[in-house]
Amino acid sequence: MPKTINRVRNAGIGLALMFAASAPVAAADLGAKDEPIKLAMLEWTGAHVSTHIAGQLLEKLGYKVEYVTAGNFPQFSGLADGSLSASVEVWMNNVGDIYPKTLAAKQIEDIGKLDLKTREGWIYPKFMETVCPGLPDWTALNKPDCIKALSTPETAPNARFLDYPADWGSRAATILADNNMQYTAVPSGSEGALVAELEAAEAAKTPLVMMFWGPHYALAENDVGWVTMPPCKEQTNEHCITPPDVDKIVWSGFGAKWPAAYAFLKAFKMDAGEQEKMMLAVDKKGEDLDAVVKAWIDKNEAVWKPWVDGAKG
Amino acid sequence: MTAPAAIAPSAQRFAIAPALVPWCALAVLTALCLLLKTELPWLVNFPKEWTLPLASYINAVADVVVAVIQPGFRALSALLDAPMRGARLALAWLPWPAVMLAVAALALKSSGERLAIFALATLAYILLAGYWPQSMNTLALVLLAVPISIVLGFLLGVLGYARPRWRPVLNGALDLMQTVPAFAYLIPLLLLFGFGPVVGLIASAIYATPPMVRNTMLGLERVPAAISEAGLMSGCTRRQQFWQVEVPTALPQLLVGFNQTTMAALSMVIVAAIIGGFEDIGWEVLSSMRKAEFGQSILSGLVIALLAILIDRLTIGFAKAPKTGPTRAMRWMTPRRLALSLAIALALAVVIRLAAPDATLLPETGLRMQMGAVNQWLLGLVRDYAWFFNGVRNAVLYCLLLPMRVGISGSATPAMWGFSLPPSALAVYVVLVLALAVLAARRLGWRAAVAVLAAGLVLYTGFLDLPWPVFILAVALLAGQVGGPRLGLFAVAGFGLILVNGLWPQLVQSLYLCTLAVLLCLLVGGALGVWAAHSERVSRLLKPICDALQTMPQFVFLIPALMFFKVGEFTALIAITLYAIVPPIRYVEHGLRHVRADVVEAVEQMGATPLQTLLQAKLPLALPVVMLGLNQTIMAALSMLAIAALVGTRDLGQAVYVALGKADAGMGLIAGLSIAFLAILADRLIQAAVARSAAASR
Repeated sequence: MPKTINRVRNAGIGLALMFAASAPVAAADLGAKDEPIKLAMLEWTGAHVSTHIAGQLLEKLGYKVEYVTAGNFPQFSGLADGSLSASVEVWMNNVGDIYPKTLAAKQIEDIGKLDLKTREGWIYPKFMETVCPGLPDWTALNKPDCIKALSTPETAPNARFLDYPADWGSRAATILADNNMQYTAVPSGSEGALVAELEAAEAAKTPLVMMFWGPHYALAENDVGWVTMPPCKEQTNEHCITPPDVDKIVWSGFGAKWPAAYAFLKAFKMDAGEQEKMMLAVDKKGEDLDAVVKAWIDKNEAVWKPWVDGAKG
Repeated sequence: MTAPAAIAPSAQRFAIAPALVPWCALAVLTALCLLLKTELPWLVNFPKEWTLPLASYINAVADVVVAVIQPGFRALSALLDAPMRGARLALAWLPWPAVMLAVAALALKSSGERLAIFALATLAYILLAGYWPQSMNTLALVLLAVPISIVLGFLLGVLGYARPRWRPVLNGALDLMQTVPAFAYLIPLLLLFGFGPVVGLIASAIYATPPMVRNTMLGLERVPAAISEAGLMSGCTRRQQFWQVEVPTALPQLLVGFNQTTMAALSMVIVAAIIGGFEDIGWEVLSSMRKAEFGQSILSGLVIALLAILIDRLTIGFAKAPKTGPTRAMRWMTPRRLALSLAIALALAVVIRLAAPDATLLPETGLRMQMGAVNQWLLGLVRDYAWFFNGVRNAVLYCLLLPMRVGISGSATPAMWGFSLPPSALAVYVVLVLALAVLAARRLGWRAAVAVLAAGLVLYTGFLDLPWPVFILAVALLAGQVGGPRLGLFAVAGFGLILVNGLWPQLVQSLYLCTLAVLLCLLVGGALGVWAAHSERVSRLLKPICDALQTMPQFVFLIPALMFFKVGEFTALIAITLYAIVPPIRYVEHGLRHVRADVVEAVEQMGATPLQTLLQAKLPLALPVVMLGLNQTIMAALSMLAIAALVGTRDLGQAVYVALGKADAGMGLIAGLSIAFLAILADRLIQAAVARSAAASR
């Protein structure tokens, strides 16, 4: 009995799939290939690169792709109701409260890691090693001379630590307190503010210690060092900085609608070094994003062939 | 010792001012609060346990409500999405030569050949800067938002005109629509309408509707009775009377509303881009801000500024005929020729698209990349003049910002000023303030004395250490005496709401930033305005600067301010001041230039020096206009709070921004409403004060 039911069900699914895709049978597992897959284009160039590589490869698979600009938090609203189909570079350290909500409601699906090698922590412009001898070790930051150099009117007598914007959460303040460091964490307000401070500090050689992450194109242009962090008080996200995961998120109906694209995106990975090179080409050398991405695809068939073949099969 | 003795002779005069009595009671309360501050810390820091989780209530209610009404809004969203897509596709399809031809023809018709040349230059700039497709997307948004706002605004305006009883409610709603920062309602809109450009469209429409409503009401009210009666006498039905007599008479005012609505819609482009959904020029500005690319942000910001000026002049040209009559070019461009030009433009578009269906036809320019040089130049400035910028920042911080924030009592510590004040110095300060108050009471009346005492108190404790009961009661008392008991109650209710939501520290930060910014703007902007009123050359020089400051997206100025002055309150102050300085310049200049000439001449005849003429004749006469400017300055400063949050403030704007990040609709709304409350309270206070002084002088 169960067998017959199974068979009937399979036949039903097969039929449904055939009706769903009015295309020839061979393309059945592509799903609704005439409806464009809408990929979220987030604000930073790294995400542009990853998204366009995924997009161009999806086009090779036979899909139509549309790139839709999206804010980092609003994108989850779009992914939740299918007005965005997928977002391939979601930094899990900055997803707000809306991400767990939509994930719990099963409106979006996390389809695994992008395998982007990331880094997060405290950075300083390289010349700081003469101001605070002993860097990159964190104890160098506690020396009175170093604190004095980093002190500003707003934070005096403490030294100033430039933290992430307030809406990204403030782990740095917790860690500074954990280690009794004489620092005041100043929230920066925006990514642009962080970058502007880093560039200005480099230009004017003013001392600066701040929270940052990579890969980021600002790291390619400015010579920075990473502080060797103090031991974590607790191994929790609040008291400890670990390299953030970068995941691929799709709308919950994605797998059923575009099965091959789903399989492809699951396999899709991105190498941080390659991404940084492409970012630099686009941002600083002024090359066209599409051309840069296409050049990479032409050169690296060995990398992406297995993803595409796996999706077809 | 000396103070009471000095007051004594004038005690008689004080005794007859009943309005003074509550102030005396408040002074006693203040003294009590200050004495008990250390024992009862809740007088300064509103305890967390007393706050009400109103934001989470709102969220809980909103979750239920949204689930119920969401389908309707989603359907509306789908309905709006189609024309939006259509407009974008159509504008993307139009090749740029056709657009240029059409816009130039419209400009020629609207205000003549100079505007036509400006229009062509603007479009050429957009083309060369490489922002053509993005600009067309922006235009699509504006083209859809404006008709929605116009129709909605007209209907609401007619409603307000026909049913005066509804007008208070309507006015309140309009005030909210204009003063709640759009950041605050983006999340609820996102929940209701779903992700996409429609959210930006709705946000623009919300912000752009009020000017149309107000102008419609104004226009219809101002229809002269004689015209209305003429209509009635010739036997019009009510409908004919409205459409054929009243509306045509009110048309000029309606067109002014149209112009203001268009500008408001355009100014929301950036906010719409925060949601995303399509690549428009606002998105480009945000991206360049994110990368701290000053050059690119100027390049893209200038597109918005130029478009704003172009649309402004175009619509103004259609709204008002020039005083000197139409120019030759305008007469030449008859409606028939205009239609013909537009048809030619369309034909041109079809021909081009038939010949090259897929070509973008956009020139390749490396302008965007060359803007990197601007960044290098900026960083060079930072490198060479770091000592100067640091000096300015530290001076202002030590002498102005910190004393305002923590007061003399908090600043005069070894850590901050390098010394602490002995009790004797404190006594001198108290005596000084009292003496000033007495002087003010003698020369200007007891109100000035109260103001001096209040300023002395704030300077001593700082904004942060001011006991909240004193602050709320003082503002409520002021509001009650100036604007009537209802305004006083409104102040108490508003501050109470902020207090129980745990937003008091943010409110205090906002107040102190805005107060400082407004004072700075009045001083600097007022001086510039006076100068411009007396010098044609300065006036001409300031005009484009003011235009640019008001139409350029504020994000553009944040980058250099950040690089020069670092993250912090000083940078926020600069950003707010840059935006809010325009109204005092404009209003002071306008007010001084339109003072009655005969009065000024009479004063000069009496042998007054130019300074005396200015201070004792012109400025007092221009006061109503200047007060209007003050009102606008406060509105501008408050509206900048949400944007200044991007440079790391801790005020209400930051609360709105954090709520946006966390998709916390309730907190966002409450923080946004708090800003709106401040704006409305300030507006009503100033209006009431102007009305009082006008009544007194009559």
